[in-house]
Amino acid sequence: MTRLYLYGITHPREVPQRLRDQGVFLVEDDGRAAIVSELDEGPVEATRRNLLAHADVVEQLHEDGVVLPARFGYVLESRDEALELLGLPEVDELLERHEQTCELTLRGKYEESVLGEVGAGLQPLRDAYRAQPSVEIGIALGEAVGEALADRRARDEAFVLGALRPLLLDLVPGNPAGEFAAFDLALLVERNAVKTVEAKLEELAARLSPPLHFKLVGPLPPYSFVRLALPAVA
Amino acid sequence: MQRESSAGYITRAPRSSGLADVLEILLDRGLVLDAYVRVSLVGIELLTIDLRVVIASVDTYLRFAEAVNRLDLRQVDDSKSVPDLFEKGGEEMAETKTKGAVEGGMDAIKEKIGLGGGKDDDDDEEEGSRSRSRGRSNDR
Repeated sequence: MTRLYLYGITHPREVPQRLRDQGVFLVEDDGRAAIVSELDEGPVEATRRNLLAHADVVEQLHEDGVVLPARFGYVLESRDEALELLGLPEVDELLERHEQTCELTLRGKYEESVLGEVGAGLQPLRDAYRAQPSVEIGIALGEAVGEALADRRARDEAFVLGALRPLLLDLVPGNPAGEFAAFDLALLVERNAVKTVEAKLEELAARLSPPLHFKLVGPLPPYSFVRLALPAVA
Repeated sequence: MQRESSAGYITRAPRSSGLADVLEILLDRGLVLDAYVRVSLVGIELLTIDLRVVIASVDTYLRFAEAVNRLDLRQVDDSKSVPDLFEKGGEEMAETKTKGAVEGGMDAIKEKIGLGGGKDDDDDEEEGSRSRSRGRSNDR
């Protein structure tokens, strides 16, 4: 029996030649289709190449229609299992819900000059460190800077969300990674609202940059908004 | 694929273009169904561990302190109270140290998630040449 690697779920349609050449095909069932490729025995390796290949398949297909992207590493043991999955009523609901949506990921990151800004109120500690750059005073100063940076982060994230909120269908805040990361947001918006989000971002940048830098990726398939809230069957 | 706008403060990418873009959304999110999913993966533990840089570390605090100090020195650049030579030297030292620490951290993370290995060799040329040139420039 052939194992299938699941990229996601979509409606039945033509798969672009470029993806067909990579072995990607659809298992169809009454208006729903699993995007799959055949898989050898053994586990799926979470390499950079495999992760990016998964993203490439779902993002390419999402350009011309709804795709519910699967989590990386989702393996179906048979074609029947794919059909079983497609038969779930929740799959229909999700396909309908995301017919016209897309995900945008918005990350905020500070440049180093933010430390000068948040450290402006810490003059006594700064003077002390400059006069005597010991480890103890350095840690005290660094801790105070870290706290001030956390406040700044919370303030800026709230400001950004306040400005974008009217455009959002849903939101999943992520964990910003890195010392200078400000926020990491998954935004669900209508496909036709992407331009409006971009315009809003220009306004935000005019107000918050520097030191804040933005990175906006998308329109992506709704990676963060396709949880199936089903009870696990033992 | 990427372009900069608004005087360089907004990076815009229509699709995921690197591991950093996809890592969290592919591993933590996406369609999953407990009753059906066959988690059959290699390397996931390594990928998820240590990606979030811990901010509450002595190392981070000391770098923050040095950076604040350095930014402060730049602001009072015109002041004549500190001899020029001393100021220059301090600044350079702080910069070298900070850079080394940051890059060391990234290297450690990349090693952890196996990006430095031979399997995905298509992405690693840049890394190699950077560490080589770093070795030469520190030679004095």
